[in-house]
Amino acid sequence: MLSRVAANLYWLSRYVERSDGILRMLKIYYASSQDSIQEFSWRPVIKIYTGLDENYVKQIEFNSREVLSYLVAGKENANSITNIITLARENARSVQDHITKDLWQCLNEYYHLVKDQRLISTLRKDDPISALDILIKQVMLYYGTAEVTMERGERRSFMNIGKYLERSIQSIDILDSKFSTIDNGPDLLTDTTYWKHLLLSIGGYELYLKTYRQGFEAENVLEMVVLNHDFPRSVLYSVGQISRYLDRLKINNTITEVKELSFLVGRLHSRIKYSTIETIQEEGLHNYLYSVKKELYAIGNAVNIQYFAYS
Amino acid sequence: MSSNFLESYLPESNTWDEMFTQEHQIRSPYKKIIDYLANESADDLNKKEELAKRLFMSQGITFTVYNSGEGIEKIFPFDIIPRILTASDWSFIEKGIKQRLKALNFFLKDIYSNMFIIKDRVIPIEMIYSCPHFLREMFNVSVPYDIYVHIAGIDLIRDFDGTYYVLEDNLRTPSGVSYMLENREITKRLFPDLLPQCKVRSVTEYPNILYKNLMSLSPRQISNPTIVLLSPGIYNSAYFEHTTLARLMGVELVEGKDLLVDNHKVFMKTTNGRQQVDVIYRRVDDEYLDPLVFNPESVLGVAGIMSAYRKGNVAIVNAVGNGVADDKAIYSYVPQMIKYYLNEEPLLKNVPTYKLDDPEHKDYVFNNIDKMVIKKTNGSGGYGMLMGYNATDLEIDTYKAEVLKDPRQFIAQPTISLSAAPCYLNKQLHPRRIDLRPFALCGPNGIEIVPGGLTRVALKEGSLVVNSSQGGGSKDTWVLAS
Repeated sequence: MLSRVAANLYWLSRYVERSDGILRMLKIYYASSQDSIQEFSWRPVIKIYTGLDENYVKQIEFNSREVLSYLVAGKENANSITNIITLARENARSVQDHITKDLWQCLNEYYHLVKDQRLISTLRKDDPISALDILIKQVMLYYGTAEVTMERGERRSFMNIGKYLERSIQSIDILDSKFSTIDNGPDLLTDTTYWKHLLLSIGGYELYLKTYRQGFEAENVLEMVVLNHDFPRSVLYSVGQISRYLDRLKINNTITEVKELSFLVGRLHSRIKYSTIETIQEEGLHNYLYSVKKELYAIGNAVNIQYFAYS
Repeated sequence: MSSNFLESYLPESNTWDEMFTQEHQIRSPYKKIIDYLANESADDLNKKEELAKRLFMSQGITFTVYNSGEGIEKIFPFDIIPRILTASDWSFIEKGIKQRLKALNFFLKDIYSNMFIIKDRVIPIEMIYSCPHFLREMFNVSVPYDIYVHIAGIDLIRDFDGTYYVLEDNLRTPSGVSYMLENREITKRLFPDLLPQCKVRSVTEYPNILYKNLMSLSPRQISNPTIVLLSPGIYNSAYFEHTTLARLMGVELVEGKDLLVDNHKVFMKTTNGRQQVDVIYRRVDDEYLDPLVFNPESVLGVAGIMSAYRKGNVAIVNAVGNGVADDKAIYSYVPQMIKYYLNEEPLLKNVPTYKLDDPEHKDYVFNNIDKMVIKKTNGSGGYGMLMGYNATDLEIDTYKAEVLKDPRQFIAQPTISLSAAPCYLNKQLHPRRIDLRPFALCGPNGIEIVPGGLTRVALKEGSLVVNSSQGGGSKDTWVLAS
């Protein structure tokens, strides 16, 4: 397969996964803003998903509608849903002969949805949850279509590597943004609503309740989001999937350097697998997350060099 | 539609009407479809028009118009009534195009090697050297089977008496063939059973013939040479055509950045290392093909590709430097070329062409400007034209000044009226002007032309400009078997 095609499939998939993360996060944040008696700050969301400077964050952090439309449709926000789905669609267009027609049409519809002015005005003036739900459903449709129609070969492997790399980085960012602010206010550690939102936004709330009986503890949340091997958004699960699809790619590949990539992924997978909450605490939460993230970036770079590099 | 629906159809005077004779009788090839239409209600036809639009949209047969940073998806206008050619007309066109292409191929071979045609003073040497598409880099390059023009789109029009004229030869990267194929697919859906009843010849062989020709050009004698289609990328207005052709032939669609040249060989970058490329069907213009040889700013091409080509390690389709043969000033010499190389009389006529760097011609043109069309010799898409009959005095004066700056870059032709064919517009049939672009494929076994082509139509009333960039649309083109 052409390197460019592989790269386009990988990025197409990363963008869709990112849009899913952002949409779910916005939905939960908006819902809890309706539950709050104090002024509700969107700061953590803005910090994770945009590169806005501090002055501007201060201007909009308490204005739900402003934040929602900036994150979904902001033209100058490189990470807005509109912008990343435009990019995803362009990637898909240039590999149209490599994805199924169903998948292309599904993504094309997603693109036309986020460009739909009625949807954006619902977001600004009406019930934003209805608008977000329409978009979230479209992403689910996309994942279902990909699952059912895409052949089990090199193409799907690149798409899944992109998807799980993006997912693991997002899960770490969500945790890390929290733990790096804890130094400023130790009482946040016991702020149960925060943990509840976090779990809801990544769809792990129900699993958490079934697994842990003693309420919301930072350590338990951390354990679930990083170390749980059944939770589809945990770092361990995602890294396991990356390793699985990289192994599949290796079968038909004759380039010797791909071994280095397996080494990187294998090492990271083992490292997370054999971590416990105690060893993480010994190392320091922030340090641990930071080093895992660094290794994920290294894997991303290695994939880029081994498979996509344009020299 | 009611039985008298043809009464509102008013053929224009002094124009060849494809459907009606001068005596307002229906010409025989159109009889069956007119019968068919007479039995349909206006509602049915509107539904067919809707269906056509929906099919184009859902299959993504669209182009993007960029407006204030936002992309808008549009479809090319398509008229549901086919344009019909009789078997005898087609066989004449076919012979004429074959003859013309044969001569043009000899011309390209000659001009890039011995230049006999110049030494024998058939074409003045200034004509060649002043052409911006004449490329020294192509001198003495040996191209496989001496074929330069592998794919040609020859634009034909009909004057008021029905005579066919060649309007221009497109020998570089002619486009539109995907519309010939898609228009047919959609017509099959719109008029069930009608095509076999009318004995319409099929056009579906086109991608197979092209693929077979591309295979035969491979410099390496191996069973499965690598063939690629080189596209400028998704922002090109013909990108849909590039994906369609790549898909129909089962070849890889590549962009310049997917290729590299090492030791005078071309490779594509794959996830499994590099893979040698044997044949490139390129849809990138000469100028952008190799930044080391042509435009150094180009990012669409491949650095070093010309060296691989000159060494014969890769075949490029169409050959580089063909622009010298489809230049609009050199066009006027094609009848002489046919006599010179083939010793035959040209079958298809040229439109009389005046070269504006010839003072006599220039004076004649300027004195009769209301009957003239002035064009740039290397323009395309209907841009930069002056249509004398409907231009204002100011437009004419500005254009004249432009011409006088560099007369070699302009030619003039008398206004040819273009034949008219019925179009379904506003629930009625109306005559609109059309042209015809058949696609010819040259391979080692000769020239093949699939029976059909792209009929472009000027949808505006009275307009003579059929280019899609100027409000033109297209029609399916039927060639009858008998």
